[in-house]
Amino acid sequence: METQKNGRAASTGELTRRQLLRRGTILGGAAALTGFPAIIRAKAATTTLSFWQFYAPGGPVPAQSQWFEDAVAAWNAARDAKIQLEYVPSGDYMNGTKLPTAFASGQGPDIFLISPGDFLRYYNGGVLQDLTPYIDAHTRSDFSQSVIASRKVDDKIYGVPMEVEPMAFYYRKDFFDKAGLNENDLPKTWEQLLEIGKKLTTSDRFGLLFETMPGYYQNFTWYPFLWQGGGEIQGSDGKSAFNAPATIQALKFWQDAVKSGAAPRKPLGGGVWDIVPNLGSGYCAIQNCGIWGISNLQSGAKDVPYGIFKLPTPPGGKYVTVGGGWAMVANAKGKNPDAAGQFCAWALASASPDSLKRMVDWCTVAKSDMPPRQSAFDTGKAAFETGQMKIFTEQIYPGARAEPRVPPQVYKIVSDAIQACQLNGAEPAKQAETASQQLDAFLAGYTGAKIL
Amino acid sequence: MAFGGAEGVEYETATGRRAARGAPWSMRRREAVAGYLFIAPDAIGLAIFAALPMLLALGLGFYEVDGFGGYRFAGLANYRRMFLDPLFLQSLRVTLFYVLMLVPSLYVVGLGLALLAQRRSRISGLVRSLFFLPQMVSLVVVALVWQVLLVDKIGPVNRLMSLVGLGGLSWLGDPDLALASVVVVSLWFLMGFYMLIFLGGLQDIPREYYEAAWLDGANPIRAFFHITLPLLRTTSFFVLLVATVTAVAGGQAFDLIYVMTKGGPANSTELTIYYIYQQAFQYNEFGYAAAMATTLVAILLAFTFLLFRITRGGRFE
Repeated sequence: METQKNGRAASTGELTRRQLLRRGTILGGAAALTGFPAIIRAKAATTTLSFWQFYAPGGPVPAQSQWFEDAVAAWNAARDAKIQLEYVPSGDYMNGTKLPTAFASGQGPDIFLISPGDFLRYYNGGVLQDLTPYIDAHTRSDFSQSVIASRKVDDKIYGVPMEVEPMAFYYRKDFFDKAGLNENDLPKTWEQLLEIGKKLTTSDRFGLLFETMPGYYQNFTWYPFLWQGGGEIQGSDGKSAFNAPATIQALKFWQDAVKSGAAPRKPLGGGVWDIVPNLGSGYCAIQNCGIWGISNLQSGAKDVPYGIFKLPTPPGGKYVTVGGGWAMVANAKGKNPDAAGQFCAWALASASPDSLKRMVDWCTVAKSDMPPRQSAFDTGKAAFETGQMKIFTEQIYPGARAEPRVPPQVYKIVSDAIQACQLNGAEPAKQAETASQQLDAFLAGYTGAKIL
Repeated sequence: MAFGGAEGVEYETATGRRAARGAPWSMRRREAVAGYLFIAPDAIGLAIFAALPMLLALGLGFYEVDGFGGYRFAGLANYRRMFLDPLFLQSLRVTLFYVLMLVPSLYVVGLGLALLAQRRSRISGLVRSLFFLPQMVSLVVVALVWQVLLVDKIGPVNRLMSLVGLGGLSWLGDPDLALASVVVVSLWFLMGFYMLIFLGGLQDIPREYYEAAWLDGANPIRAFFHITLPLLRTTSFFVLLVATVTAVAGGQAFDLIYVMTKGGPANSTELTIYYIYQQAFQYNEFGYAAAMATTLVAILLAFTFLLFRITRGGRFE
């Protein structure tokens, strides 16, 4: 009978059910076995430390990813604990799921970059390694104390600042010329800024550009306008200080800019941090942007004639801008937190000339930023006092205040108030009051590290 | 045929073995086992990648989760918080408006295109392909292209609108227009898919019904309302159900919103699915997000159950 059955299958060329199952099992088994070497390789790779960053290889400024590659190559050449760089697209890195899911599943990178806006999220989550033991006392005092403060808890350092990025306004000189304006007309007050913005607005161009996309970055760019009138998110008593005239004034100013038609509701490119598609393309005549705009324009819109001026102030206000910037941190729950911590200190916070050079190169060659270490400023002084950087060094940076570190819930409350006033015509006083109540409700139950 | 020839040989063989093992399997049982084996890969996939995560999300909703491995039992706290959270309630309203704008538009446009595309002509294949083309493009690319088209002041759409005195609108930056803009882009992306489904339904309607109607003097409009629409009831049920579930679950809207508006301006495009994403991945509120996701699934289940009851499983008997 069996012969008959086999003969039938053979003669028709069809598989019986049993043959199909048997062959399927063999194929499946073979596939599983061939997978073993890959599993073994993957296991071996886990001893290498991972370093996640968002500067694309061959991206708009190739020197930026090159800086990371050079630093990691120098470390790997001299150490047993090897590091492997992994590029994560900036959108996914800053607003996506990559980092949160990695940490939620215990697979977070060993070394990564965070902004002050995200510091409390990771510190309160217990994944930031204390870097203080790896940084000598002299280097610790070499850092700008206001800059490193937002990376410290109980006098311990949890992140090495790579840069300081103060905000300012960039303007197109050719558009100023066409409108009959010159450097003497650069605005000193909010009112003048709005007037010039209106004057520079045409049928195919906006006069002014503020960030409109909700997110950490929008809050970051709005804080100086809050501070200039003496406003704060949190008072010294730990309660909300948001319901104040300074808040209302700042919310109203951004609202007026959009209402007047001088500022758009949507920027071009990746957002208002992205200066080439906006000011560079002629979409706007004046753009609120950080110091990195210099290197981005140099790289992406070399021939655009532009100038820079510091943030104007409100009536009775005091000049202040915000200084953001990323910091290198080590994962306390990673594969080798000690080696990861050593790398962060070795890269940018050691007394060695190489470490200092890396910081100067990062701030002058790869980017156009202010250095967070005094000795790095002294070493690269020539670069910081040349061309457009000179304006930042002399006029803008001296009034910089470190970017606040707030938990995500606080950021959302502030963001909702900004968005409602700027784009939905909401009453600033009402929004300040509502946001303040929400802040108080949150702060009453908040138990994490101090909000700064 | 079923028991003749070679089948008979196999039956005899199996009978011989059965006698040896002493465990008789009827043909019906063997067919059932074979059937289950065939659906097993799909069922296992669904169990692992759909049912299990849903169960885990249900459980997670009762915990406070910090996103770094910390879990604390919170009972119903996440559910209580949800009903007091104005942003969650607003996101439900935004989702409702999105569904109310998108689903009827999809129905009308999908059916309209199917009626146009079913006519046999030399270019009907090309027309069908053109309408289906958006489905072949990645949603992120779709969102980026539309973002460029809808740019304030200098975008192509605004340039065109300014010819009729309607320039200067901010399609994605004005809270009154942003959701409608997302609906239009969703519609543009999905219409080809629903056109195909309606085409399938239309081709199932026997031509004889139309011929009889024309002989009786019915015009095309009467034929549409008295033959086409009634005989498309099951297709319509499928379209309405799938379009609604997809819209609520963020099938295409999530990607579009992620790229084009980030839930703004002023939360006007913050669908519940996007708010859940924000809570989980931006604010590390995984437990709260799981509770909201569970509630959203419960709403969808209730809607589907109701629709099945009203239409008697789509048969409309």
